[in-house]
Amino acid sequence: MADASLSVLTICGSLRKGSYNAMLQRALPALAPSGMTLKPAPSFADFPIYNADIQNTTGFPAAVNALADAIRAADGVIIITPEYNFSIPGGLKNAIDWVSRLQHQPFAGKPIALQSASPGPVGGARVQYDVRRAMVFLDAFTLNKPEIFVGNCVSKFDEKTGELKDETTRNLIKQQLAAFAPFISRVAGKG
Amino acid sequence: MADNLQIAVICGSFRRSSYNAALARALPGLAPPALKLTPAPAIEKFPLYNADIQNSTGFPADVMTFANAVRAADGVIIVSPEYNWTIPAGLKNAIDWTSRMKDDPFKAKPVAIQSCAGGLLGGARMQYHLRQCLTSVESVILIRPEVFVNFSAKKFDEKTLELTDQGAKDMVKLQLEAFEKFVRQHTGKN
Repeated sequence: MADASLSVLTICGSLRKGSYNAMLQRALPALAPSGMTLKPAPSFADFPIYNADIQNTTGFPAAVNALADAIRAADGVIIITPEYNFSIPGGLKNAIDWVSRLQHQPFAGKPIALQSASPGPVGGARVQYDVRRAMVFLDAFTLNKPEIFVGNCVSKFDEKTGELKDETTRNLIKQQLAAFAPFISRVAGKG
Repeated sequence: MADNLQIAVICGSFRRSSYNAALARALPGLAPPALKLTPAPAIEKFPLYNADIQNSTGFPADVMTFANAVRAADGVIIVSPEYNWTIPAGLKNAIDWTSRMKDDPFKAKPVAIQSCAGGLLGGARMQYHLRQCLTSVESVILIRPEVFVNFSAKKFDEKTLELTDQGAKDMVKLQLEAFEKFVRQHTGKN
């Protein structure tokens, strides 16, 4: 039997309030299978830009430890992110760069799923493959399929409420979350 | 007589004893005489990119200073480590900020890339991601020669951090010579 309750952390790669990726992140709990609880990760908005000299003098900032602890405590992590300049947004990469330096690197062995929303037709594919690559280095296990690329995203959310209204997208996300639950159990050896 | 070319040098690491910073410091001594290299203004204190900052208080002053220096330069050399198989966040954040400007300073700018890394690959994964990213802002990127200073701990003086490895110095010289021609070709400067 699959694990009865899974706690999944969601990390959003955009920091702006009106972000489509933040809207997507907020849509997830309603689309998750029963037994899966999703909660937003502590913010990385105020992390300093990574510099080993900070780490070696004053240590890891408290906010970095808070994010790392939340990742460690979660059964799985979903990263929902825009694509900036064909790749990973600096802020998200900075969060990864900081936590990657911790002794108990929190992404090691962690099940990961990726989603992206973008106004263009490619839907953030390039950022996803770059995050996958960084996650390989960090020894995380990234779910292969289904992939979620919310392309032409402006038309897929309600302009006023920010609600994800596109039915096809909602169904795909449901499928991804339904696939993520057994993936987490398998990675955790609870098959 | 040939015009001098102003080149801004951007380093992707901020730690004081960075090998990449050491490589950046070695460049003027290896450059052809017409290439005038200057470190770009610091990018370390930029806030993490957030469109809400841009739309409320505008572009931070240090982002503007950096962008103006890139605009004023005839070419840019980026010297960067690889973090987690890709571009360090601080460097990516600088590109994310300037990419939102109406007059993107990296657009049509000749760029050369170099990296130092402790391992065998010398930062190759970072370089190819940076090429991908600079393609999105329409820079023109020097193809060859590529400069990967691998096993970097062996290639610099332990105390002074001077670049001592002859093979690396020769490679850097070749790249800077090629970059001079490349910059002239793309800027139309004689």
